Amino acid sequence: MTIRPATAALVLFFAATLAFFSLSAPHFATATNFENLMSGFSFVAILAVGEAFPILVRGIDLSVGAIVGVVGMVVFDLTLVLHVPGYVILPVALAVGALAGALNGVLIVFLRLQPFIATLSTLAAYRGLTYSISGRQLVPGLTTTPIRDPWIVGIETYFDIGGWLGVSKFVTMPWFPLSFFIMLVVFAILQTAVLATRFGRDLYTVGGNYEAARLAGINTTRVIISAYAIAGFCAAITALIMVARFTTSTEALGTGMELTAIAAAVIGGVSLAGGIGSMFGPVVGAFLLGAVLLGLTLQGVPQFVQQIITGVILLAAVGYDRLLALRRQRRLALSLAEAT
Amino acid sequence: MSDDRKPNADRRNFLRTSMLGTAAIAGATSGLFARFDTSAGVPDISQARAQDARYKMAFIQWQPHTVPAAWSKGIEEVLGPQQIVDYELLDGQNKVEVQVSLMDTLINQGTSVIFLQPIDSVALAPSIAKAKRAGISVITLNIDATEPHAAHVEMNHYFGAIDIAKAMGDAMGGKGKVAILNAPPGIIIRDQRTDGFVDGLKQHHPGIQVVADQVADWDRKKAQDVLNTILAANPDLGGAYGVNDSMALGAVDVAKEKGLIGKFVVFGNDGEVAALESIEAGELTGTQYTDVYQQGRLAAAAATVVATGGVPATAFAQQSHLLMPYVIATKENVGTIQPSQRW
Repeated sequence: MTIRPATAALVLFFAATLAFFSLSAPHFATATNFENLMSGFSFVAILAVGEAFPILVRGIDLSVGAIVGVVGMVVFDLTLVLHVPGYVILPVALAVGALAGALNGVLIVFLRLQPFIATLSTLAAYRGLTYSISGRQLVPGLTTTPIRDPWIVGIETYFDIGGWLGVSKFVTMPWFPLSFFIMLVVFAILQTAVLATRFGRDLYTVGGNYEAARLAGINTTRVIISAYAIAGFCAAITALIMVARFTTSTEALGTGMELTAIAAAVIGGVSLAGGIGSMFGPVVGAFLLGAVLLGLTLQGVPQFVQQIITGVILLAAVGYDRLLALRRQRRLALSLAEAT
Repeated sequence: MSDDRKPNADRRNFLRTSMLGTAAIAGATSGLFARFDTSAGVPDISQARAQDARYKMAFIQWQPHTVPAAWSKGIEEVLGPQQIVDYELLDGQNKVEVQVSLMDTLINQGTSVIFLQPIDSVALAPSIAKAKRAGISVITLNIDATEPHAAHVEMNHYFGAIDIAKAMGDAMGGKGKVAILNAPPGIIIRDQRTDGFVDGLKQHHPGIQVVADQVADWDRKKAQDVLNTILAANPDLGGAYGVNDSMALGAVDVAKEKGLIGKFVVFGNDGEVAALESIEAGELTGTQYTDVYQQGRLAAAAATVVATGGVPATAFAQQSHLLMPYVIATKENVGTIQPSQRW
C-alpha cells in the first residue's frame, strides 16, 4: 500500500497542531487532555468514517445527525419506557440506524433524488420522528431519570492501559475510553472492506465514474444503498456512545453533527468529487478538529474565533483537494496527449 | 419537580435558602472590601490574599441569549473587583456534547468553581460527578441537574407562573380563552412554567380555558406565525401566555397588526428590557420580572465563599437551592424597576 501525499500532509499537519498546542496551550500536553480528546471525539470519528461512504460514491448524507437523534431516542424509549434489556437494545439500535441510512439510499437510487435534497428531507423527517417518539414527553418524570442499564452505560468505560503495561511508573498515561477502541475496530473493519474486498473496489468505481461502473456490470444500486446504510450504521454506534456518555438522550441529540462529520471527512482527504479517500483520513480529521477546539479553549480563545479557524482549516482542506484534482486532470490530459 | 410541589415546603426552602444567599452575599462583599479596610479582621480572606492565590472560574452557558449574558455580567461584577479570579464565559452552542467537552476541559484546567446552565438535567450529571471527584464545585443556573452539587440558583418558575395566571385572569375578568406559546418539550423549565400557569388558572380562575398549547421555539417570529394560526381557529381568543418574553412579544406583534391592543391580554416570562419597554408602551400586559444580574451576583458570591474558604466540593451534604425573588410587572408597577436592574 502506498501512502498518498495528501495523507502524509494530513498526518504532518496533525502532528504539527499537537506540537503547537503542547508548547503554547497550558494543560494541553497532559494525560487528562488526551483522555478528553479520545472520549470527546472518538464518536465524532466514527460518524466521520461513516460519512465518508456516501461521499465516496459522489453523494452526501446530511441526515446522519438526525439518525443519531432517532437512534438515541429509540434507546431511551426501550430502556426507560419499555424496560427492554440492554443486550437486546444494542442490535436493535444498530439495525434502526442502518435502516434509516438504507432508506436514504433507496430514495436516491429509486426516486433519482439528488443526495443533497434526499438527505435534507430525511434530516427534517428523522428529527421530527425523534420528537414524535420521544418518551421524555409521553411519560412525565423521565426527563430526570438517568439510564442505568449496564449494557448501555457500560460503553462509557475507561481502561488503565498504562498501569496494565506497567509504564505508569514512568509517565502519566491517559485512561483509554472504550469508545476509542470501538472506533479503532470500526475503522479497521471498514478500511479492510474498502481496500481488500470487491465491495470496496465497486465503491471507488461507482464514485469515480458512475456510468462506466454501470456499463461494467457493477450493481450500482446495491453499492449506493450499502454506502448510505453504512453511514446510518456508524451514526447508530455514535448514538450509543453518546447515550452512554450522557446517561440519557434528548430530542436534539446529534443536531448539527453532520457538518462536523462532513468537515472531518473532507479534511481527511475524502474528495467531494467522489471515488477518492480512505477511512484513515476522516479519523485523523475528526481528532484534528478536536485538538484544535480543545487547544484553542485552553488558550482562552473565544469560541466564535474557534469557529472561524475551523472554517479556515476546512477551506484549506477543500482547496488542497481541488489542487490535487486539477493536477490529476492535467497529468491525465498529458498522458492522453502522449498516447495519441 | 413532580415530587416537590408542596407549596409550604417550598416556601420554607425558599426562606432558608434566601437567608443562605444573603449570608453568601455578605461573605463575598466582606471579601470585596477587605482590601480597603485592613483592620476589618477577616483572617481567612487576608490569608488567601497573602498567599497571592488566583482562582479560575468559568460559566458554561446554553447558547447566547439575553438571560445568560445578564448572568455573566452579574457574575463579573462580583468577581472582577476581587482581582483574584480569572473568569471566562464559554458557549455550549445548544449542544450537550459541547457542554460535556467544555466541562472536561475545565476540570483538566483545575478550575475552582464552574457555573453551569445545563442543556439537560441528566446529560450533564456525569460531568458534574466527575467535577466533584476532581474537587471542583458546580453551581447551576436555572436548570437543575440530577447529580447533587454545591448550589442551584434559579428563577422562581413554578410559583411565578401561578402568579402570572392570577394576574392574567384578573386582567381578563376571570373568563375567556387563552393560548400558551410554549418552548420545545424536554426542558424542565418549560414544564415548570407551563404547570405553574395551568395550576394557577385552576386555583384562581377556573373560568378561563386553555384552548391551545403550541410550540414556538422561544422565538418571536415563530410565535407570530403560531398565534396567527391559533387565532384563525379561535377568533374569540382573549389572551396569550408566552413562556418567555420573546414569544410574548411575538404575540404583541400580532395583536398590534390586528388592532387588538388593549383588548387582547398578553403575558410573558423573564422580564428582559424589551418586555418592560413594551409594558410601558401599553402593549404587553405584563411579565414575571427577575433581576437576572442579581441572580448572577448571588451565584458569584456563593462561588467566592466556596473558593476562598477552601470548601471542598464534597462538603455539601445537601445541595442548596436558591429561588430568586420576582415581581409580576404590569403597567402599574413597571416604573419601580430601576434602570440599573434592567437587562
